[in-house]
Formats: sequence, structure tokens, C-alpha cells
Amino acid sequence: MLGISIFNGLVYGSLLIICASGLAMIYGLRRVVNFAHGALYMLGAYIGYTLSLYLNIWFALLLAPLAMGMIGVLLDKAVFRPLQERDPLSVLLVTFGLLLVIEDLVRAFWGRGSLSIEVPALLADSIELFGNPTPLYRLAVIGLGVGSMVLIWAWLRFSRTGLYVRAASTDPLTTAMMGVNTERVNALVVGVGTALAGLAGVAAAPMLSLAPSMGADVLVDSFVVVVIGGLGSLGGALISAILLGQVQSFGTIYLPGLSAVLPFLMMIAILIWRPSGLAGNRV
Amino acid sequence: MNTLLSFDKVNAYYGNAHILHDFSIDVKEGESLALIGRNGVGKTTFVNALLGQAKVRSGSIRLGRKESARWHPYMPAKEGVMVVPQGRCIIANLSVEENLLLGAATGRKGYWTVPKIYGLFPILRERAHTPGTALSGGQQQMLAIGRALMGNPTLMILDEPTEGLAPVIVDQLGDIIRQVNEQGTTILLIEQNLHLVARVSRRYLAVEKGSVIAEGIVDPEQIEQLQQFVVV
Repeated sequence: MLGISIFNGLVYGSLLIICASGLAMIYGLRRVVNFAHGALYMLGAYIGYTLSLYLNIWFALLLAPLAMGMIGVLLDKAVFRPLQERDPLSVLLVTFGLLLVIEDLVRAFWGRGSLSIEVPALLADSIELFGNPTPLYRLAVIGLGVGSMVLIWAWLRFSRTGLYVRAASTDPLTTAMMGVNTERVNALVVGVGTALAGLAGVAAAPMLSLAPSMGADVLVDSFVVVVIGGLGSLGGALISAILLGQVQSFGTIYLPGLSAVLPFLMMIAILIWRPSGLAGNRV
Repeated sequence: MNTLLSFDKVNAYYGNAHILHDFSIDVKEGESLALIGRNGVGKTTFVNALLGQAKVRSGSIRLGRKESARWHPYMPAKEGVMVVPQGRCIIANLSVEENLLLGAATGRKGYWTVPKIYGLFPILRERAHTPGTALSGGQQQMLAIGRALMGNPTLMILDEPTEGLAPVIVDQLGDIIRQVNEQGTTILLIEQNLHLVARVSRRYLAVEKGSVIAEGIVDPEQIEQLQQFVVV
């Protein structure tokens, strides 16, 4: 029982970290509190659904995030960039409006009913892990979470572009002064962040049913993760996603009445202890 | 001599505040020019107009062969103009070496490489992997200069580099800036510290109320004659 709870917590934590790291990156560079992030996660799942019908789920896992990445670049150019001089509150409202628009578009294209994606045949079985039957697909989701974190970390830490991203997240003007086209860096990061939301959406799809409102819970939990981790910090987000995954998983079993508020209780407790989040202000 | 940078009757604003009034300046290739003046006369606004951070409503700014009234902050670097900003602006979450690598973002090739910068400022090599902002003020200024040199500039603009530094460090930096100029990089020094101007610059422009009001040759023996432009 204990093992299963920890395992399920890790699965949810992995999805959260993929989704929340995108949110954290977009906030880190654009200083945009993106309420549409959950809707983008949902849109990723739906695009993945259609791709899995016409091709198969492997293509869906690959192409849906790519498509979402392109949508992200467009989002940056069409929305975030023109609004960058506005106050954060009005940008927040615009992203909230986007959320509603995306949900309605999805309802119009895919209908209101819930849909589902089949678990890929290759990963449909379960294996015995620490004495518990463990679905391979869920194991693969943890692998996906770990893999994407390692890739993002290596990208930020070792590549040229990663250096520019880190620099621009603390001091965009000086970074530009050195010759970095920070607008292009911003578009890229919003693209990557949106692709991550989409990736989390497709990866989650075979474990639950698709509905236009499916982004709401993930959005709230991703915000909790980003706030607990320290706004814009990926390392902090990683730790808080793992924590939140466990809290959710154990909460539903041992404190079912409280499970909906547990993330917020956890957030309050951590913010009292460290007001600027686990990682402070580092990226 | 070629003109690297010229402002022709530029009028620049922050919002509705009119800061630069018909501001004109020509920087010639190879020279070492000082822009002097009191606080608040528009020296930094000149840099901000070049970086597109102050709004230019009339006049034109020419860099090399490019002319425009609206520059984006990343464009001057691509044309070979690197700025050592006021207050140094070392990036806090990058190491010393990463700050230097950031300076090479344009990919302009030339004399300056990371080892060459370490040769110029050996202390930076010792502290290569510490966060840039963990350095002392003087070392941060060295890093800011090194970072600008990494862009292999034809023109390096230094905005009040001596602010808050001890006199012995100021002299050290002055010698290095002169050395960089002698190697062929054009220098535009924005300063109130005439001691440094005497050490580094050969020509000066004096700014008051947003316009250039005087210019001439810097005579280190009679530097006190320029006091009138910087003393309140």
C-alpha cells in the first residue's frame, strides 16, 4: 500500500514537474503569470489524441509537443511581446481570457464528451516492482519526467542558448547589450515552456480521460509547485513537484476530506518558513 | 579617419521629459574621447538613446554604415559597439567566466578571447567559477570591461567606470583602458573623474543640459581647466 502510494505520487510529481517547469520558465523570462498554461496542457492532450488516431501514440508523444512549441512561439509574438510594457495584472487577465478561448475552441473541435487514448501496446503490461504490480506506462512517465528534467538542466547549464536564457532571466537589458537578441530568446523559451505543457498533456492522456476542463487541476497544482519552488526557479520546482506529488497521493488515501486543500496548506507552511520559496530567486 | 558613431541633432526623451537637446557627437576610429559633465546632464541618456532605451523623436544615430532613430538594445553590439554600463551590471546568477562568455554573444572574432582577458586581469582567472557578483567593486569593473572586450568591439563605451572605486584601482583601470586604446579599440569614456580623463583621453566633449557645449584636446598638465564642466 505504502509502496503504491509513493509510486503514484512519483508519477503525478513527474507530470507536474514537466508542466510546472514550463510555467516556471515562462515566468522566469517573460514575467508572465500564464493562466492559459493548463489549457495548453489540455490542448496538447487533444492534439495528441487526434495524432494517436491517425498515426499512433508514439508520434503523438513526439509531434504534439512540437506543435505546442510552435503555438507557444506564436503566443509569445502575438500576445506576450506586444503586452510586455503593460502591467502584470492586465497580462494575467489576457492569459485568463486565452484559457477560456482555448477551452471553447477545443469544445468546438472535439466536442464535450470525454475521450481517451489507449496505452501503447508496448507499455500495456505490468511488472512486479518491490512486490507490487506496476504498470509499465506509469513507470515510463516517471522516466519521461526525469529525462526531460535532465535535458532541460543540461540545456540551460551547458549550451550557449542556455547561458543567454539564464542571463536574460536576471538582467534582460544587460544581456541584450552584449548582443543577445533577447526577443528571440523569449520566443524560444515560451515555445519550450508551451511544448512542455503539451508533453505533460499527452503523457497524462492514457492515464485519465480527456475533457476540456482537465487543465484546471494541473494549472492550480503547477502554480503551487512554482510558488513553493521559488518563482522562476527550476531546481525549486523539481523538489516541490516531488513533494506535492507525494502529498496528493497520500492525501487522497489518508485524508480524503482534506485532499483538495492539502497543496495549499503545504504552500502556506513552506512560504511561512521560506517566504521567497525553496530556491529563493535563483533560476 | 572614419566616423564610427555619430549623433546628429538628436532629441531624446523619457516619456515627456526632454533630456537630450540637439545632441551631436562624432566618434572617430582609433581615438580616445571623453564625454564629461555633471550628474543629470544627459550623459547616460546618450547611452540609453543608443540602446533604444530613451525615445529619440528627432535626429539620427549612425553606427558604422547603419543609420536609424530606433535602435534595439542588442544592435550596437552587432555593429561592434560594446557598452560597459554604469553600475557595471554584472549578472548575478552567472559565474565570472559565464559573464565573459556572454560578452562574446555576437560571435565577432578578433584579438580578445577568454585567455587574453585573463592575461589582462589575472584575478578573474583565479575567481573564474565564483558568481560574478561575489567580486569586489574593482574586480567587478574589471569583469565588466573584460566582458565588453569579449565582443571584440571597434568602439568601447565606458559609462562612469570609476564610480565608487578606490583611487589606486582607478589608476590601474586607467592604464588598462589606455592600453586597450593603443591596441586599436576606440574608447568613449563617460566620466566626471578628471584624473581618469587626463590619464586616458585625448579629446573631450563637455555636456550641459542635454547638449554638447564645448570640446577640445585634453591637456593632462592643465586638466583643472575642465573643472568648470564637472564641479557643481
